[in-house]
Formats: sequence, C-alpha cells, structure tokens
Amino acid sequence: MAAAAAPMEVDTGNGVFQRKQAMYKSLDESFEIQKEMYRGQQYSQIYFARLHLMRTLLYSLLPTWKPHLPICTVLGLEEGKECIIVGTLYKHMKLKPSILDEYSKERSASPLVKPHNFVHSDDYLVLEDESGRVKLRGSLLLPSVYVTGIVVALHGKETGAGDFMVEDILEAGLPHQIELPLNSGEDKYVVFVSGLSVGSSSANPLHFQLFVDHITGHLGDEKEQGIAAHIVQVVIAGNSVEFPRGLLNGQNLGSKDQSRLSEPIKELDILLTQIAAGIPLDIMPGTSDPANFSLPQQPLHKCLFPGSAAYNTFRSCTNPHSFELDNVRFLGTSGQNIEDLARYSDAKSKLEFMERTLRWRHLAPTAPNTLGCYPFTDRDPFFIEKCPHVYFVGNQEKYEASLIKGSDGQVVRLICIPKFAETGTAVVLNLRNLECHALSFGTQFSS
Amino acid sequence: MASSDMKGFFRQKKKLGVSKPKSLKKSPKTKHSASCGSDLVQPPALISHGSLDLKDEYDDKEEVLRQFDMNMAYGPCLGMSRMDRWERANALGLHPPKEVENLLRAGKVNSECLWDGRV
Repeated sequence: MAAAAAPMEVDTGNGVFQRKQAMYKSLDESFEIQKEMYRGQQYSQIYFARLHLMRTLLYSLLPTWKPHLPICTVLGLEEGKECIIVGTLYKHMKLKPSILDEYSKERSASPLVKPHNFVHSDDYLVLEDESGRVKLRGSLLLPSVYVTGIVVALHGKETGAGDFMVEDILEAGLPHQIELPLNSGEDKYVVFVSGLSVGSSSANPLHFQLFVDHITGHLGDEKEQGIAAHIVQVVIAGNSVEFPRGLLNGQNLGSKDQSRLSEPIKELDILLTQIAAGIPLDIMPGTSDPANFSLPQQPLHKCLFPGSAAYNTFRSCTNPHSFELDNVRFLGTSGQNIEDLARYSDAKSKLEFMERTLRWRHLAPTAPNTLGCYPFTDRDPFFIEKCPHVYFVGNQEKYEASLIKGSDGQVVRLICIPKFAETGTAVVLNLRNLECHALSFGTQFSS
Repeated sequence: MASSDMKGFFRQKKKLGVSKPKSLKKSPKTKHSASCGSDLVQPPALISHGSLDLKDEYDDKEEVLRQFDMNMAYGPCLGMSRMDRWERANALGLHPPKEVENLLRAGKVNSECLWDGRV
C-alpha cells in the first residue's frame, strides 16, 4: 500500500545524482506504551523500578570505587560510622510551585508571576531509599546542580544532628558504548530541525520552503545538489505545529473555526510530503504537537499526515526517540527533559544539562516529579542502557554542539537543535566523523 | 464499655497481624462486619468458646500473601495485582518466595493486594 520512495534523482547536465542511503534501525520499542495497562498505580512504582535498577548498577561499580567501605541502608546508619549509602535524591525547593499555595489564606512572599527558574540558595538535598530518608550536608553536593529523581551512591557518615555528611559521590556514569570505526567510508549527512511551529505567526513559511528545497536538491548549482544528495536522513525534533490557541477556549467550534484549527497540520503535511518523497524522514512529537502530554510521547497518528504517511520513508516516532543509522546510535528528545532541568537546577549551558543526564545515565530524572510521565510499574524506559554516539535535544534557543568523552573511551556528540521558526537554523551532522554544523536560511535583504 | 472485651478485641487483631479496623472494608464479604467494634452484638457473656467470632475468610494462605504485600523489598504493593508484583520481583532478581507464586497460581485467593479498594 505504501508508495516506495525511489532514490532521489536530480537531472543535471552531467548525469543523475543518486541519493545516498543508510541502514536504519528503530530502537523506540521501550518508549511505546500500547501494551501498558493502567491499573490505578501511582508513581511509587516507577521510583521503585528506577531505584532497584540503578542501585544494582551502582553496587556493581562500588568495588572499583571504594571497596573497603561497608554499604548501609538509610535506616541502618550509625552515627560516626563511615559508610556508603545508595538511594534516590530528593531536592527540597523553597520556590517550587505547590498547588496548595492557591489555597493559602495569606499571600506568601513568592511572587504570583512564576520565575523561570526555581533554584534558591536555601534548597537542600535528601537521600531516600525504601527504609527512610536522610538530609544531606557537606560542601561537595551543590543543590543547584542536582535534581529530584537521580540515583547516586554517597560516601560519608551520619552526624550527631541526624544528617549525613557527604564526603564523596558516585554517579552511574556513561554507559557502555559500542566502538565505531570513525572516519571511514563516505560523507553521509543527517539533518536535524525542530520548532517549525507551522501555523504560528512567528514562523516564516518561506524559510521552511527554502529548507525543503535545499535538502531535496531543488536549490543551488551542481555542487550544492551533490552535497544535498549525501543527506540520508531528516529528523524533526518536535513542535512542528502551533494551533491557534484562541480557538481552544472550551466553546463549541463552528465549521469555519474547525477548518482554521486544522490548517496548520494540513500545511505541515504538504511540506512533509515534499521531503518524504525523496528522503527518509523521522518526525517526533513535542509540547505543542497533537500528541499525549506525558513522556514518553507516543508517535503522531498517521491520519494527521494523509499525504506524507503514504511514503514508506515517513516514520512517526516517539519522544524520546532512539535509532541506529549505519550502526551509529542516536538518542534524542524534543526538549522537555532539558527544559525541566533548566527550571530546577543551574548550569552554564544547555549542553551541560545534556552531559549531566548522560553521566547520571537517565534521560529525564525529574520525571515524574515535575515532568509528566506514564506510571510504569516494572521498568523505567528513561534509563540509558547503551551510550549513544549522538545525543540531540530539540527546541533550544540557539545551536550548540560539543563532544564529550567518557571514562571508558566513549565519545558522544551533543547537539542542541534551535527552534527553526525563530532562528531559521537547522543542524547537519556528518555520520562519517560526527562533525556538525549549522544550516541557516534567511530572507532578509539588506536595503 | 467493658474494658476486658476491648482487650479481647485488640488481642484478636494482633494475632491476625492486621492493623486496619475491619469495619472499613468495602468488599461484599462483610458478613461478619456487624460483629466488629460493638460489644452490644456480642456481649462477653455470650462468648462460650473463649474467642470472638471475628474471623472472616481470612486464613493462613491470605496471611502469607499479606506478608508478601507488606514486604518493602519487593516495592510498593498498591496499584498492582499480586501476581504482577511477584513477576516484577522475580524479573528484578529479588528471589520472591516460591510459596507465594504457588498460592497465586492455584487460585482461590485474593489476586489484589490487601489495600485494594480500601485506599
């Protein structure tokens, strides 16, 4: 039934350009929730699954870290006895919005307008396991760096006041990575774009059309087209549409309003058909897309894309999204996990947040505390099992990229994909050597 | 209220190991709930065999399963059926007791945890 896309051919004077192809393998199975059944469970189940999974992992790392120290549970702590405890971090935050504030009789000191970042100098950390919780002290553990939901091992001792004085911390670290033979073979490019926001007033349709024309080889001379023929995959990382919010005020929609509501998605489908006709395309849902709210977001339904879904190059994916292209492992989200970290902790840049999630070995530690999440009972799909080679996050303010190295020789390319509607910038990654650069489109003419 | 009767009431509860008062149970198996908490129904003088008739379908098998529910090594019990929780514990390598699995597979026991419907 699906129309197969022929290798993209562009007729030129010298001959026809054949588009390169890469072997694709989807790894999204753990993010799908079709088989899950909700039985009224609460979030304690996913926290237990996470704690058990990561505690087992940390126990296996302890012999190489500090083999001579005993391991305790929180209830088993004795005053002055140096030991190691493993548990989930909880950060008590003064400014964290609480639903109960709405019911308080007096207006509290915190302003009604929510600040973007809720970090305060009075925040403190608590370590929790099944037996109990203990407040953490010590200058090593900066509360502004950590968030609720991370599982760590701590070396220290209980103080007279009943707190735990931390002397050292062990995080799970980067997981094992399959080594890649880099710098061999030919150049193959993956194009990342996010925040298209089709239908919003700030999105310039000309920018996106330029983008589509460029990657499908309809722009530029032979040299440009030759480069475009090396693009093997396009990934759209969330927020592809923006619906007119004024219509969604709880009232019944008239027929004219109904067609206005569906215009953005129809426009997007027309543009995506142009891409899918020639290049494999992965589209992920984001915060503003018509998908479920809580992570993992499920793939956008194919009925939204009557034109593009007919092609077998069109793939609707989950958020987070994980796949392999020519054995290069990709992992990425539409930005919700990093945005939430930015609300509840501090860092120099978004790349630093991304690096932290890898070193904590967990994609979204703040889920389900402050980030909506499905109440899994027996697993935690956000646990990162294998180290990706490329880790991308969509809908960021600007393009940023860096390369991080792990203690076992892992190498990860981190990419922040900017919002296309605001910046007109996409990101291009070379599979051969993991180098990446920005691809900007502008329509301003200097007067 | 006769204090000796209240002591007898509490003693019975400790033997069964259940701390929640039975009158709160919403399930249809409440044949004996009328006898809970009220010594008007069963005044001490009428107790001929020395113990209160407060036992409902709660038997030894259920006791084993309730201990399994309460054991925090296997995680929270609310919101999961007992068999699902046992299978999760097994999959995580926690070696849950085989006896519990046998009881659950045999049937005739409550498949949901002891707080099911009560919380």
